[in-house]
Amino acid sequence: MTEQKKTQPSLTRRGALALAGAALGSGAVTGFPTLWAQNIRNVTLRQIGTGVSGLNPIAEQVKKDLGFTLQLTVTDTDAVAQRAATQARSFDIADIEYFSIKKVYPTGALQPIDTKRIKLADKIVPIFTTGRLTPESAPGQGTSPFSVGFVESKDAKTFAGKRTDLMTLMPTVYNADTLGIRPDLVGRPITHWKDLLDPAFKGKASILNIPGIGIMDAAMVAESAGIVKYGDKGNMTRAEIDKTIAFLIEAKRAGQFRAFWKSFDESVNLMASGEVVIQSMWSPAVTAVRSRGIPCVYQPLAEGYRAWGSGLGLMRHLSGLELDAAYEYMNWYLSGWCGAFLNRQGYYSAVLETAKANMSENEWGYWMEGKPATADIVAPDGKVMEKAGAVRDGGSFTDRMGKVVCWNSVMNEDRYMIQKWNEFIAA
Amino acid sequence: MSRWFPWLQAAPLALVLATFLLLPIALIVVVSFYDYDSFSLIPDFVLTNYQEVFASPVTWQTYLKTLWFAGLTWLVTFALGFWLAYYLAFVVQDATWRTVLFILCTVPFWTSNLIRMIAWVPFLGRNGIMNNTLMGAGLIEQPLEFLLFSDFSVILAFVHLYTLFMVVPIFNTMMRIDRRLLEAARDAGAGFWQTLWCVILPLCKPGIGIGSIFVVVLVMGDFATVRLMSGGQSASVGLMISNQIGLMQYPAAAANAVVLLAMVLLLVAAMLRAIDIRKEL
Amino acid sequence: MRPDVELIGVTKRYGHGPAAVDGISLSIPAASYCCLLGPSGCGKTSTLRMIAGHETVSEGDILLSGRNVTLLPPAARGTAMMFQSYALFPHLTALENIAFGLRMRGVGKAERLAQAAGFLKLVQLEKMADRLPAQLSGGQQQRVALARALITRPKVLLLDEPLSALDPFLRTQMREELKRLQRELGITFIHVTHGQEEAMALSDIAVVMDHGRIAQAAHPREIFEKPASAFVARFIGGHNVLDLPGGRFAVRTDRTRLTPVPEGGASDGASLAGQVTTVEYQGAAVRVVVRAGDGQTAEALLPDGLFHAAPVAPGEAATLGWAAQDAHPLSQTA
Repeated sequence: MTEQKKTQPSLTRRGALALAGAALGSGAVTGFPTLWAQNIRNVTLRQIGTGVSGLNPIAEQVKKDLGFTLQLTVTDTDAVAQRAATQARSFDIADIEYFSIKKVYPTGALQPIDTKRIKLADKIVPIFTTGRLTPESAPGQGTSPFSVGFVESKDAKTFAGKRTDLMTLMPTVYNADTLGIRPDLVGRPITHWKDLLDPAFKGKASILNIPGIGIMDAAMVAESAGIVKYGDKGNMTRAEIDKTIAFLIEAKRAGQFRAFWKSFDESVNLMASGEVVIQSMWSPAVTAVRSRGIPCVYQPLAEGYRAWGSGLGLMRHLSGLELDAAYEYMNWYLSGWCGAFLNRQGYYSAVLETAKANMSENEWGYWMEGKPATADIVAPDGKVMEKAGAVRDGGSFTDRMGKVVCWNSVMNEDRYMIQKWNEFIAA
Repeated sequence: MSRWFPWLQAAPLALVLATFLLLPIALIVVVSFYDYDSFSLIPDFVLTNYQEVFASPVTWQTYLKTLWFAGLTWLVTFALGFWLAYYLAFVVQDATWRTVLFILCTVPFWTSNLIRMIAWVPFLGRNGIMNNTLMGAGLIEQPLEFLLFSDFSVILAFVHLYTLFMVVPIFNTMMRIDRRLLEAARDAGAGFWQTLWCVILPLCKPGIGIGSIFVVVLVMGDFATVRLMSGGQSASVGLMISNQIGLMQYPAAAANAVVLLAMVLLLVAAMLRAIDIRKEL
Repeated sequence: MRPDVELIGVTKRYGHGPAAVDGISLSIPAASYCCLLGPSGCGKTSTLRMIAGHETVSEGDILLSGRNVTLLPPAARGTAMMFQSYALFPHLTALENIAFGLRMRGVGKAERLAQAAGFLKLVQLEKMADRLPAQLSGGQQQRVALARALITRPKVLLLDEPLSALDPFLRTQMREELKRLQRELGITFIHVTHGQEEAMALSDIAVVMDHGRIAQAAHPREIFEKPASAFVARFIGGHNVLDLPGGRFAVRTDRTRLTPVPEGGASDGASLAGQVTTVEYQGAAVRVVVRAGDGQTAEALLPDGLFHAAPVAPGEAATLGWAAQDAHPLSQTA
């Protein structure tokens, strides 16, 4: 994700809860192997990732809990994938998106993760392990984490498509994206993705200009408006791409769009200034607009959500003590403190029960269960994010993640799509 | 030994230029013939990258748009820059006052590019200062939408940024004009416009040339201003290259870079043909 | 004859200082060569520039051929100016420079270039037509500047120190040429210079200026023979200014002789006794400077034969003497 976090977490009441979480999460395992507890302090793991989860409080907590140093490099989605593919030795761990891994993993830059060494592997949310949130729910289209989550063997270049003992990424953070709106300015209830094209919002709509993600939002809109019927929105045919771009160009020429945004700040500014009243948006950006006292809703829509997820990947050169430390780090990631930390930002974490143990009942109720907040929801920096009584847009975890219809993707016709997207921007 | 001395003196700079300018450009040219897939460059000699550049109507459109931006920006910065320079050189007599005004000209550079562009939103936006003022004055009924996220705003930002690059060299050449030449023209019966056209303008040519090269080259290579000020609705070659780099289509980006470089070099060569800037250097 | 150029009480003030040109009145007859002469800062250039119209007049009027031009722009006055260091347009060829005035008057290209070629011939530079000023020598540039000024057929040509940038040999040559041109064209030249020799050689009327005022305006011969003041006598040179018992006098140095008792001299003060301080050999003449007991110095310019007949050396006692009629009385105030 090119998404960046807005809220700077601090660490209130972390100590006891973290310990409790770690104890609970580690289950049968009673502690860390003492054998290398001494020299592990000298280990430094270099991690590259986006601002979503490349957060200093996490590195500080790692130092505190595990004793070794986690060195973070934060950049944007494309650059993470680029560096993972081309400069694999310049870091040890890639915090990377699932749709990127579809391209990066076959280059051989990463080694698979042995799930037997991940203690809470079975507790990971089933989206990642079975492809479905519940046995009844449908898997989303596109590059779902499950479809690229496992490989058959250590040297496999293709994905297993089923659960095996070897994971490509250990899931860390994911979310369901939808349209953000200004409820005070749209003047009517927004219910469908096609509402982005409503002539009433002429010159007041926006879509994000990151081709791989923007095309998905466009596809959600086109499908909702009945303009295009897709086989798989996450892997369009050339004809489908042509039709999607044609409809985008038409809308652009008709003056529907005010702007296209590329960075988090741009999307916040467009919305906060009222230049745009309906647009593609990321969850923390909505929070950022609201924190300025401007009403903004992350509107659930009838067709469902577009989702994304990322995870930690081990670079192939990792071995020995560093590899052990990396596994230790991944186990710690799932053990609760980190999950709670990410959940409080409005994202979701991979193992829910350990995270729950690290959150207050009010927090858990608001963020995960769709319940009205019983007290103010406070950002880690102490700023009030939501007043008591507020309900999360879209409701509970199950309501939101259960309605994911497609995942951020890399298409087979990627190169063609980019060309056409440039055509749209230049039109 | 002494015969080699001039070469030795030139060697350090030549070496630096060769290493940090010529070599990278050579690499770009080489890479522009590579093939590529999603994540790797495939050393090869293929023309597909260039074929895609030249065959696609989008690239033509984008190149034309970029030229259009450059041309329009040049026109406006020249018109503005010339008169600003004229004012500073011929109207303002006091040296201190001149310095103060010059410093004022650099104000746009006191903040970062990004902040400057973000700051245009509250000024030009639908509910911005400009629209509110105009509506408050009863001059318009509806907010003017073209003020922001349009070609207008792109040109505006370019002009805001690059007029100084026009002012400085023109000002320099104007200051070198012997004031007696103006009297001589006046003595020969030239009016204000005749003096301007027949004496000042021709003598400012080197400055105009240098300013034009600055402005055109800067605009041709720009990607941030076009993206932010057009609200992502306009393309430029720089933006296209930046997108391609973002998607790791290095050879395609390299091919575009080579074409852009060639185009800019041609433009500069054309300008140098028209104007002898050596007088200024 | 009706004067061509007439200045009436013309004053120029810059800011609040003393006037640069202080109420001067002058009339220059038609078709005459007039030199404005004086030390730097005397106001001669300001006067010229006011006549040209490049400087506003603070007070007074300027008349050209009886027409008041005080408020007219330069081109409407019928004057043309040749600037110091010529101010040729560096981007135009010699021919285009000359044609410039016609171009400004809207004369067609072929016509104006043909006329310019004629003027180029007048100043004997036919072969340099396509050269840029930077490719011409100083003398050639000056001719081009002259032709450029003349092409608009002015009634009065104004020249601002036209010869000062030339080497002495060229200067003499150009001087002759300027005079020839003035005679041939039959128009008035007003020429600013600080060299008295130049003024002597050229002028029909020489105007010696000092501190914004005219010290003397007359034919150079009259000025040389009857300087109006000690300032004029000193400035034009060739005079001893002496305070003698009968008052202050100017005595030409070439009329001063080195004799024990001057010929036909009386004891009426037409001599000065003292000590020789300098003997300077100048070829045809020898210059002898004598310092008198009262501190006054005087010099004699002696024909070489005369000097060598009775030479003196520095340090020796000597007496300078002159004919009484050669002592020109000066007013005491100047």
